[in-house]
Amino acid sequence: MTNAAVQLTGLTKRFGALTAVDGLDLTIRRGEVVALLGPNGAGKSTTIDMLLGLQRPDAGTVLLDGQSPAKAIAKGTVGALLQSGGLLPDLTAGETVRLTAALQQRSRPVRDVLDRAGVTEFANQRVGGLSGGQQQRIRFAMALVADPELLVLDEPTTGMDVETRRGFWTTMRQETAQGRTVLFATHYLDEADAYADRIVLLRAGQVIADGTAAQIKAAVTGRTIRATLPGADLVGLAALPGVDRVETRGDVVMLHCDDSDTALRSLLSSTDAHDVEVTARNLEDAFIALTAAGSSK
Amino acid sequence: MRAYVRLELRRLARMPGLLIFAVLMPLLSYLLFTNLHGLTGQDRDVAATYTMVSMAGYGAIGALLNYASGVVVDRSIGWMRQLRLTPLSPVRVVVGKGLAAMVTAIVPVVALCVAGVLVNDVRLGPVQWLAIVPLLWFGALPFALLGLGMGYLATAQTVQPLNLLVYLGMSVVGGLWLPLDALPGWVAAVGRWLPTHAYADMSWQVAFGGSPTVTDLLTLAGWMVAFTGLAVVGFRRSVRSTASL
Repeated sequence: MTNAAVQLTGLTKRFGALTAVDGLDLTIRRGEVVALLGPNGAGKSTTIDMLLGLQRPDAGTVLLDGQSPAKAIAKGTVGALLQSGGLLPDLTAGETVRLTAALQQRSRPVRDVLDRAGVTEFANQRVGGLSGGQQQRIRFAMALVADPELLVLDEPTTGMDVETRRGFWTTMRQETAQGRTVLFATHYLDEADAYADRIVLLRAGQVIADGTAAQIKAAVTGRTIRATLPGADLVGLAALPGVDRVETRGDVVMLHCDDSDTALRSLLSSTDAHDVEVTARNLEDAFIALTAAGSSK
Repeated sequence: MRAYVRLELRRLARMPGLLIFAVLMPLLSYLLFTNLHGLTGQDRDVAATYTMVSMAGYGAIGALLNYASGVVVDRSIGWMRQLRLTPLSPVRVVVGKGLAAMVTAIVPVVALCVAGVLVNDVRLGPVQWLAIVPLLWFGALPFALLGLGMGYLATAQTVQPLNLLVYLGMSVVGGLWLPLDALPGWVAAVGRWLPTHAYADMSWQVAFGGSPTVTDLLTLAGWMVAFTGLAVVGFRRSVRSTASL
């Protein structure tokens, strides 16, 4: 069996004039932990909906371990946590998870899963009275209960406080240590950076970068020079050799450079710039640079 | 699917409002109608039996419409979407919902029959009882489908008024509140062909010594087909675009 865990080919979805997902190709191997990263409206949720068979693509195919999403879900080999999935307020947390377990062909012991997902302490309370973060943990338990090979999580830590978020990812680590494949959508860069083996960056329904966090940072080469320069001539600065783009924040100018050494020489010799700092770009810069590029074209 | 039906019944037990509404309203109406001043002798006996059937049916229809159209809530809060992530297929969800709905319908039927016997001295033969209870119960199936159809096609905002309009409209015009003979001619002409009338008439016939007429059966079957179509259309539309659930 050498099927990819997830194989999306030419996936396309349009809503009227808007193309939410635009010919997306993505292959995820078994055991990979992949973050789907992108700004709001990049097509993350629509992609996940199609991946799970909740929406029909206008074009393209989805194969999960070589099968259709419906088949994979029926067999219980896919577990998913969706932001938009609602829970019944009149059931208790435990009942909700037990129902999900009872609907599966095979399931892990419910008590175990409640423990792992951190639901045990409020298992006997009605869902309606629980916080968003607690409800999210119930959804997580529901996703785990069938012991799926592939876990799909859409913004899993939404509504969780910092402590709970950390606990959530600790559990996730243990779950993936068992060779599970995970695809999670997020807009938290630090989560993608810290927990994913691979980051797939989406913009306007297309993959614009795909690799490890280090590769993505490297894809956006260059450094940023920060200096204090009151009354700066922005056009002049942008024309300096090695400078890509200029921003100002009050008296501070920020020169985004592809060759910061050359730019720095000219900057210091041609202006009164002082308090100069040179920094490498972090993932956030890469994210902004990549997702903003082309939006102005 | 058994697990799902069990769950639905447990939910039902936690919202007793629905059943109270479906049982108490017809029960009180029944006791009121049949104990009006000036209703005596044979008239009173006839009224006690006739209205027992009307109000049992009225309660069963109310329970079914109300419960089945509650599917709109499951849709709007995203529960249907959550269920799509489990091996339970959408068809089983809708069948499970329908089955649970049918459980609700037996409650007003039994309550009204018991009240008929205990309070109003309704006396029917064992065969009549054995026919009337199932007729009132299973005969209400088309209304479960109508409720599901409305629950899949309406929105959370429109479903309540729509439900009430259909429920009261069909009950009054179909002769469940007052016999068709007591209604204006043109209303009775329409009412004769409503599913509410065909449904109740099957049991009225049995209660007064006859048996369900072919017209009743065909009328109810026709509506059953129409309501099934409605439910299927609504269900398909909702499954196609789970995104809008």
